[in-house]
Amino acid sequence: MGARFDPAAGLGRRLLADPWFVTGASLSLFLVLLVVLSPWLSPHDPHDMGYAAFAPPSADHWLGVNDGGMDIFAELLAGLRNTLAFGLVTASAGLAIGILVGLASAWFRGVVDQVLMRVADLLLAIPAVMILILLASFYRPSPWVLALVLASLAWPTSARLIRSQALGLRTRPHIAAARQMGGSSAYIIGRHMMPELFPLYLIAFASKVRMAVFMEASLSFLGLFDPTRKSLGRMISDALPFYYLDVWWHWLLPPIVLLTLLIMAFTFLAVSLERFFDPRLRAAWAD
Amino acid sequence: MLTWRGHLLAYLLTALVMVYLSYRLPGWLPGDFVTAMYADSHVVLGAEQEAALRERLQVDGGFGSYLLALARLDWGTSHAFRVPVSDLILNALPWTLLLMGGAHLLATMLGFVAGVEAAWRRGGRIERTSVGGMTVLQGVPEIGTGVLLLMVFAYHLGWLPAGGGATLYVDHGFAERALDVLRHLALPLATLLLAWFPGNFLLARASMVLVLGQSFLDTARAKGLPPIRVRYAHAARNVLLPMATRFGLRFAFMVTGALVVETIFSYPGLGTLLFNAIGARDLPLIQGIVLFSSLAVLGINLVLESVYARLDPRVRVYGRAL
Repeated sequence: MGARFDPAAGLGRRLLADPWFVTGASLSLFLVLLVVLSPWLSPHDPHDMGYAAFAPPSADHWLGVNDGGMDIFAELLAGLRNTLAFGLVTASAGLAIGILVGLASAWFRGVVDQVLMRVADLLLAIPAVMILILLASFYRPSPWVLALVLASLAWPTSARLIRSQALGLRTRPHIAAARQMGGSSAYIIGRHMMPELFPLYLIAFASKVRMAVFMEASLSFLGLFDPTRKSLGRMISDALPFYYLDVWWHWLLPPIVLLTLLIMAFTFLAVSLERFFDPRLRAAWAD
Repeated sequence: MLTWRGHLLAYLLTALVMVYLSYRLPGWLPGDFVTAMYADSHVVLGAEQEAALRERLQVDGGFGSYLLALARLDWGTSHAFRVPVSDLILNALPWTLLLMGGAHLLATMLGFVAGVEAAWRRGGRIERTSVGGMTVLQGVPEIGTGVLLLMVFAYHLGWLPAGGGATLYVDHGFAERALDVLRHLALPLATLLLAWFPGNFLLARASMVLVLGQSFLDTARAKGLPPIRVRYAHAARNVLLPMATRFGLRFAFMVTGALVVETIFSYPGLGTLLFNAIGARDLPLIQGIVLFSSLAVLGINLVLESVYARLDPRVRVYGRAL
């Protein structure tokens, strides 16, 4: 360490001075808190159909009751939880594949690189949503299976990002030294390259969560998940046929607002982190 | 890196894999095929129909004859509509092309010009607010904007129709018909535009800013070229390649957005058709649309690979694609 240039120095402070980061972080914190505190926030079971249908908001039902006699606020919290969980699972799995592929590609070069990057290009050219629709309509797998399938289709963007930065890392002296002292490929990738590219994973993770949440909302909006599974997209499609009734502001609007806040939070995080860590963009943002 | 022929081969192979998957998938369903497909479909089969279907499905000439049938546009028959899947797809296709193509062209051109102009006025108040505003807009999903536009313009203000692609059962002259189609197009198009414009704008601006400091622009200015020529012919040319690359990267996901927007406005394109097919568990139709649109997206990406080479001579010289 010592006098060496350390890009991470004072990073926390600089990040906290960035309005995009602060907004994104506090929005996501707020949404996570909503999910975590949901048992205390809403006493109703989101699947309980025992209330008076179309009841307007009241002290008991903060956002009223939907056409099926279910408490909308409880549904909203359960939907937010499922949508967010889908996003986090997909992003984690996709990022894990992306890191492995990106690093392996950059380290081994040659045929490995060629094959992996070619597969990545082709996966980018295939609409993931179509594969998911096909699987979901034929087999009706659980949401987790779909999340993993989406992750296995969506890793190329992060693999490319990580590969491009790892290529530069590969020729640095300390890596050569580790190699010289007999470090195996697995050791160098795992011990040196993987930790050093850490900031990139944050960028990739934030943008993957954003993509996966959007995907989950779209798929559930189209009715591809189990109809009893609560989800923000599903709520929107349930409420949409009643948009001309007075119920729109407490039934249709809340899931839209929550979904937008969720996607916005991760967009802001991705934008802000990208600005700090992606050297190609640094020049573009410096002003 | 692969040559152009290598690309073509890789894409063809991928297309074959997708067709094969679509051929094999129904066979992997648990139990008997006909029962599995119809078990919870909204369609009840008569005894004769079931026998006919069994006969048709048992004539399995293998993958080769499946491919031939695809090429002959024999994509099977929809359960719910009882018409060939290919007819349904070809009827819906022009609407989707109009909506997605129009939105994409507008979003790209407007994003390009606005991004270049914003970068040129770097540091000004307009530039700062527009970058901020576009970043915020990037966080708003199509579902959100679509529903809000529907509520405001179709329901509360009543200016524009809430759904469909054209007014049915009316006798319009050509001009009236065109206006009618445009009126129906306005809201879904605006939704997609709001979703796709910000990304194009931000990318065009960021790429342009990277170019601005370079010395070839000083040379161009020193030659006495008019500013507009320096800005577009010299500087902004470098923005085209990242924008085309981004389109290639984003296209597969843009399909998702278009699907949702068509559904919200019940626009008579492939998205709405697919939505209805999902609702009725019309498996042959789902399969047909999925296969068709995946192949179309693959094809467009293949075309893009050659466009990169035209946009950037460096790519062409080395026979590389980025």
